[in-house]
Amino acid sequence: MAPDLTVVTTAVAVPFVAAVLTPLLYRVLGERTGYAGAVVAAASFGLLATQVGSHGTVRIPWIPALDVGLQFTIDGWGLLFALLASGIGVLVFVYSARYMHGESGLARYYAALLAFMGSILGVALASDLVFIFVFWELTSLSSFVLIGHYTEDAESRYSARMAMIVTVGGGLCLLAGLLVLAVAARGALGGVTFDLAAMLANDEAMRASLRESGLFVPALALVVTAAAAKSAQVPLHFWLPNAMVAPTPVSAFLHSATMVKVGVYFLGRVRPLLMSPEWVLLVATLGLVTMTVGALLAVASTDTKELLAYSTASHLGLMVAGFGFDIVYGGEAGTFHLLNHALFKAPLFLVAGIVAHEAGSRNLEHLGGLWRELPMTAAITGVAALSMAGIPPFNGFYSKELLFEATYEVAREAGGLAWLYPAVATVASVFTVVYSVKFLAMFVGERRAPIADIHRPPLALVGPPAVLAAVAAVVSVAPQLAVDAIVQGAVEATATGEAHLEVGLPTHFSPPVGMSAVAIVGGLATYPFTERVAAGIGRGIDAPVPVRPSGWYDWIVSTATAASARFGPLVHNGLLRTYVFWVAAAGSLLALAGFAATTGVPEMDAVGVPLAVTIVLAVAVLAGLAVATASSHVAGVLTLAILGFMIAIFFILASAPDLALTQLVVETLVLLLFLLVLQRLPSFYADVRPLVLARDAVLSILVGAMAFASVLLTAPGPDADPSSVAEFYTEQAVPGGGGSNVVNVILVDFRAFDTLGELLVVTVAAIAILVLVTMRIRGEEAVTEGEEEPVPDGGDSP
Amino acid sequence: MRTTARVTVPIVLVLSISLFLQGHNLPGGGFIGGVLTTAALVLIYVAYDLDYLESGVLGQEVESGTSIFEHRTVLAYRRTLLLGLVVVFGSGIAGFFVGDPFLTQTYVHLEGVPIYHEVELASALVFDLGVFLVVVGSLLTIVSVVSAE
Repeated sequence: MAPDLTVVTTAVAVPFVAAVLTPLLYRVLGERTGYAGAVVAAASFGLLATQVGSHGTVRIPWIPALDVGLQFTIDGWGLLFALLASGIGVLVFVYSARYMHGESGLARYYAALLAFMGSILGVALASDLVFIFVFWELTSLSSFVLIGHYTEDAESRYSARMAMIVTVGGGLCLLAGLLVLAVAARGALGGVTFDLAAMLANDEAMRASLRESGLFVPALALVVTAAAAKSAQVPLHFWLPNAMVAPTPVSAFLHSATMVKVGVYFLGRVRPLLMSPEWVLLVATLGLVTMTVGALLAVASTDTKELLAYSTASHLGLMVAGFGFDIVYGGEAGTFHLLNHALFKAPLFLVAGIVAHEAGSRNLEHLGGLWRELPMTAAITGVAALSMAGIPPFNGFYSKELLFEATYEVAREAGGLAWLYPAVATVASVFTVVYSVKFLAMFVGERRAPIADIHRPPLALVGPPAVLAAVAAVVSVAPQLAVDAIVQGAVEATATGEAHLEVGLPTHFSPPVGMSAVAIVGGLATYPFTERVAAGIGRGIDAPVPVRPSGWYDWIVSTATAASARFGPLVHNGLLRTYVFWVAAAGSLLALAGFAATTGVPEMDAVGVPLAVTIVLAVAVLAGLAVATASSHVAGVLTLAILGFMIAIFFILASAPDLALTQLVVETLVLLLFLLVLQRLPSFYADVRPLVLARDAVLSILVGAMAFASVLLTAPGPDADPSSVAEFYTEQAVPGGGGSNVVNVILVDFRAFDTLGELLVVTVAAIAILVLVTMRIRGEEAVTEGEEEPVPDGGDSP
Repeated sequence: MRTTARVTVPIVLVLSISLFLQGHNLPGGGFIGGVLTTAALVLIYVAYDLDYLESGVLGQEVESGTSIFEHRTVLAYRRTLLLGLVVVFGSGIAGFFVGDPFLTQTYVHLEGVPIYHEVELASALVFDLGVFLVVVGSLLTIVSVVSAE
């Protein structure tokens, strides 16, 4: 079945439209906007659900010359991710409506949440590299707004900025990686294209083209770096726990189910394209290291949301590792765990929110025995936490078992060091069990700290996690049901070859089953010693060696800030001549460097210049020298005028009467203006300093050289044929524009839009000067007032 | 200076208008015409003062003592700038009513007109008039405000 363009486009567009309308909706609905958001999410979910089972590509062309278009590819993998995002979106909006009760800035909150959901749907379904990048960055932007929701809070702003810098920095790597892919596609597919679907269909040719140009490893490294930044892989994992300052629904939505999965999703998407020994080494190792480090840090956490954040990083590592392995089990582990992780982690975050809301604490050391007051919540946590730990028969077990099988098979084939893969995976799983039990422990046992009164959470808070836990329970009991519904399609889309996923409880002993048993038994055995383990991990974190990536981040940001604080005043010191110096010097150097890098020195024909032109230009040069050495202002102005008129004559000789006329008129006007201000100019400035003089001379020569080189290299020679554009204008001026003055016809007819822009520039200049003069007068008034009494805000004078 | 201005300004103004009108077929056009008109008015300003246009040419009373921003002549310059923008956008939008894209220009030949026998009317002239007005308005605003400093 082919997908329906209208349905898919609408599903992606609806959240964005709703985001734009949210401020209006909020005026009407107030705090019930959350329910409206849930309706929007449900609409997207419903539209996409009609596409389940379809497979294909739909496209709206945008820039045909570059083959860029709004292209959506519908397959199991994209649909799985999009349905998860919109489905959990429904629940999160319902939960938000209650959880965010009484908060301020809700219009912005819901608008950002909707825009975020739309961007996720876009990333999941788009298959044009340009649009993938745009949607990818939109997720970073909207999550920045959501993490920084509490704008008054310094920690919130710090964390939002950190998440922004890390994920957008990763996005820049993605941009570079996608461009490398597009360059390779030019060789492989014949022609400029940004079509990822076509690249995936011709993956052999793409790989060959990348290898041939030596760009395979750079492309791989760039794409993996982008995914690692987005999916919080070591060593870029540090932004994720910090992002927990966001409101809990945001944490549940962004940092468990959607945003952080974008990286994993994209790795799954390009897995068939980039699969190679380098991919296995890089991605599988990265994933397993993150899985272990995340699990260790989660064990050491005492805050519920921090624990869940590190555990999210760990589970993302599991998925990344799965996609890293070049065997069927690996891709199956990655896709199936994407679903399972969303089903157990989102409810756990929502539960953490309920506990924080009702018991007023997020500290695990103070929480215990909550099952008496919150039985429903405790039951939800039971299902979700046991699933997280990978205890059979809960759903997390199946996908983790697939990863164990993948590591075991890879190690058995490769031998040697590859045995580290299953070993590390098992160790990480031991700690996964430990922190899962630690989280669950806040519901069982005895009260640890006196907490005044715990009230029952309302249905709107318990409902969403309960729904998710129920789905998780269904998947636990009948995993094949979920596989048949959607996961099988996702596995096929991410697999390098044929793949058919079958899951179920193990019926006989095999080494992967043994690994699971070791993980569970080891985890339960380690749990009583959690505090000592956590203390050991804490010592490791506090060690003086630079193992803390967030420390590097702080160093880079503070160094960059300090450097720009020093650099700014140097360039921007309030003197106009300094600005001119930097702008002119930097512009000329860049232009000259560009010419030097790309073009050689063309031949010059000095003999062919007519005598009249030579004389006129020589007079102009003499006048220029005279301006620079003029002893008085009057002499300077007059010699400058000579220079200008000589240039006008040159234009006439070069048969450009319009230019000459303009030059003459402007020159006359400038001369008049000089007459106006001449008597006001100071007659003596300062003694000339040789160094400043030398600097100015060098700058003048530089600018002159730049202009000379630009004209020489870019303008066609006098004998060259006119370009096709010029020919078109010349031919069409009379029939198309009705005028024989081609310059004027171009100005007012063919390129009237440019002229309009120039007029706006002139207008803006006039307004700017008006404002400057006004502010100056006001500033002087403020200064005179300030002599009588100090005015705090008198600093707006230029 | 004043004698020169008396003689040259009318010639310059006529020249600028003719440059503006013939711009479509011969060297000239809105921008050049506008700058030349500005030059003529600035010449008056240099030779006399800002109020001369009102008092000397139009024979009106001039209120003194207002700030440069409320000065009637400067206001007139600013209105000229605004009018120019309106004309430019208006001529651009006018194409919409006959189903053409923004800024589409056309022209007609009128025959049998007295004296000229044949006159070509181009809609681009309206656009050029806008250009003329914007240039005159903005340059004169800048000159008068800055020189008042």
